[in-house]
Amino acid sequence: MSRFPWGVFLALLLGFGAGLAYAWVISPLQVVDAVPSALRDDFKDQYRSAIAAAYAGAGNIERAQARLALLGDTNSIEALNAQAQRLLANGEFQSADQVVLLSAALQGNGIALVPPPSTPSMQLADIQPSLPPSTLSPIPTSPTQEIFTSTPEVTPTQTFAVAATPRPTQTPIPTIGVSFKLIAQESLCDSNLPDGLLQVLVLNSNRRQMPGMGIRITWETNEDRFFTGLKPELGNGYADFLMTPNIAYSVQLAQGSDVASGLIAPACQTSSGEHYSGGFKLTFQQPK
Amino acid sequence: MKIHRWLFVVLALFIGIGAGIVYGWIIDPVDFFNLTPDTLRADFKADYVLMVAEAYHSHRDPGLSARQLAIFGSQSPTSIASQGWTYARANQFAEPDLALIQELVTALQAWSGIP
Repeated sequence: MSRFPWGVFLALLLGFGAGLAYAWVISPLQVVDAVPSALRDDFKDQYRSAIAAAYAGAGNIERAQARLALLGDTNSIEALNAQAQRLLANGEFQSADQVVLLSAALQGNGIALVPPPSTPSMQLADIQPSLPPSTLSPIPTSPTQEIFTSTPEVTPTQTFAVAATPRPTQTPIPTIGVSFKLIAQESLCDSNLPDGLLQVLVLNSNRRQMPGMGIRITWETNEDRFFTGLKPELGNGYADFLMTPNIAYSVQLAQGSDVASGLIAPACQTSSGEHYSGGFKLTFQQPK
Repeated sequence: MKIHRWLFVVLALFIGIGAGIVYGWIIDPVDFFNLTPDTLRADFKADYVLMVAEAYHSHRDPGLSARQLAIFGSQSPTSIASQGWTYARANQFAEPDLALIQELVTALQAWSGIP
């Protein structure tokens, strides 16, 4: 009966452990081909902002969706809404607008970016004969030489390329066309609500709540904006703002609506005689 | 006899090291997360440059585009955009996309003063 080769077995284990330590700790694989989902959270935010900015510029929702999928968010819309809140908190309103715009577009609401009138009969080949020869020459492979030296030639190339292939418009064009109507304005005295709470509800023409709608509020010489859909537990078309007592506010939707002006938090009283500031509830609706 | 035995032990040690490395590098490599954008694959970098170019075409602010490209680290924005353009051209991006990136590169060159 032969003995079990313990020495060999232990050497094998020891070697395996040493190899693992080398591969995992001493010299792990270097990351050179990372995917966006592996980025740190703050870089993911920047990536998301870039996607939103590109969407605001080009209006290509399919491309934006494909790019968002790369980030591996469980729910892209929630991720965008959360990021919009962070951007607003940091005072980055333009970027927040773009993120909210993309979020709204993904939900099929709000503003849709539409391409300009197309020129289907115009192909690049059709206009090439009119191009100067220099613009048609292949660009050299060395980027530092060719891009830097070809600057004067770039403009005509761009002009023709853009003219030949229709690009989405740069300007967001609301599909709705008509400004929203202020269909209800109620002053509220409810001691269960925070003092001076201004509630806004935005509905589409079918009375469905619309998330991602920008709301502009102005008072004295100040202005702020907030968005619907950031408190989904209260409704996708819901947004609120806390008013300071004795200050008159004006409210309208960023993309155009009636203006609710002269909103001063009403003075209210509880049944026990305590005074508190009431609020308002404004309802905007998209006309049919 | 004893020499043969040690030979087996050493052989087993090397086999173990090899197996450990194969396991640690190929079968179950270290999972990476919290990475920085400079580690992104070239196609993702180029697509990021394209995103910045698409946005630039709308806002026309090269400074803003330069800030967006700055997430790639120490390279100049012009250089990052140029690399994106090179990749895009080599990989047959659509002509309008190439034009957009080229437009961005030109704008960044003018903005940064680098000829």
